[in-house]
Amino acid sequence: MASVIVNVRPGLKLFQSVLTCSSRRAFGSTSVLMNEDPLKLAQLKDAPLKSLDDLLSSSEKNDGLITVENKVDISILTGVPQEHITTRHVRIWKPVKHAMQSGTNNTHKWKMEFESRERWENPLMGWASSGDPLSNMQLSFGNKEEAIAFCEKNGWDYSVNEVVEKQPRPKSYGINFSWNKKTRTSTK
Amino acid sequence: MASTAGTVIKSGVKQVRPLLSVDNAEARKRVLNLYKAWYRQVPYIVLEYDIPKNESQCRAKLREEFEKHRHAKDVRVIDMLVVKGQMELVETVKRWKQKGHVMNYFRTPINPKPNDFLSKFIAGSA
Repeated sequence: MASVIVNVRPGLKLFQSVLTCSSRRAFGSTSVLMNEDPLKLAQLKDAPLKSLDDLLSSSEKNDGLITVENKVDISILTGVPQEHITTRHVRIWKPVKHAMQSGTNNTHKWKMEFESRERWENPLMGWASSGDPLSNMQLSFGNKEEAIAFCEKNGWDYSVNEVVEKQPRPKSYGINFSWNKKTRTSTK
Repeated sequence: MASTAGTVIKSGVKQVRPLLSVDNAEARKRVLNLYKAWYRQVPYIVLEYDIPKNESQCRAKLREEFEKHRHAKDVRVIDMLVVKGQMELVETVKRWKQKGHVMNYFRTPINPKPNDFLSKFIAGSA
């Protein structure tokens, strides 16, 4: 047992270095100068001519940015079971205004929810049951595009319910008494 | 200028901050390092956890786990997978896991979901 532990230790140190190796060092200029022969350096008078490409690529590296594709699939990182990525469908919609009130609360955000799965009544207590871990999850977004991007990033199939803009009907009291429109109904 | 911006959008790339690696070669190096670290720890894992698997079976499983994410292209995603794999390795080697956690890698679904109509019908979900 003891020998095993002794053997494990060097291995630990080895794999700890996996993350610590840094690439930044390769781009630093001082390390290059240090390794150069000092006599050679003294003979140099002018800085060597650099092409435009060299300059551009070095500035990109100094920014510390990398170029990646716009669409990233993070479903392999999230830890969501494969079953809940490939078989789920997401509905994206914007809640409508309450029909009985003029307030527009709760209608400003886009929502997403998963399609509903089997629900059943608990035979003992009559409670509503479900085996679906995503059943009661609703997420809010500032706009439709954010919701779509979120679904695409997580690998979910989705559909968007677009907002239907209603044309306001012109209403007027006087039109009830107009001479050329049949708005007056007979009482007989 | 406008045309270059247009091409950038069309090709669908963006400039982002890297997680660890700045290019694919570096990410690949990290993945290989992690694989080697796991590979070297396999005999100790088999011995310490006393699992009913031998070294070659564990190495096959290790290979399978790495191959599972072979399609990952984004450098940041690869880096994050490496970070997670590293954490798993530390947890395993420091014995923060138990036997069952290690055996979870070998787990097969107990009740696979019915796929064809007849088995769905029998299961009562069709």
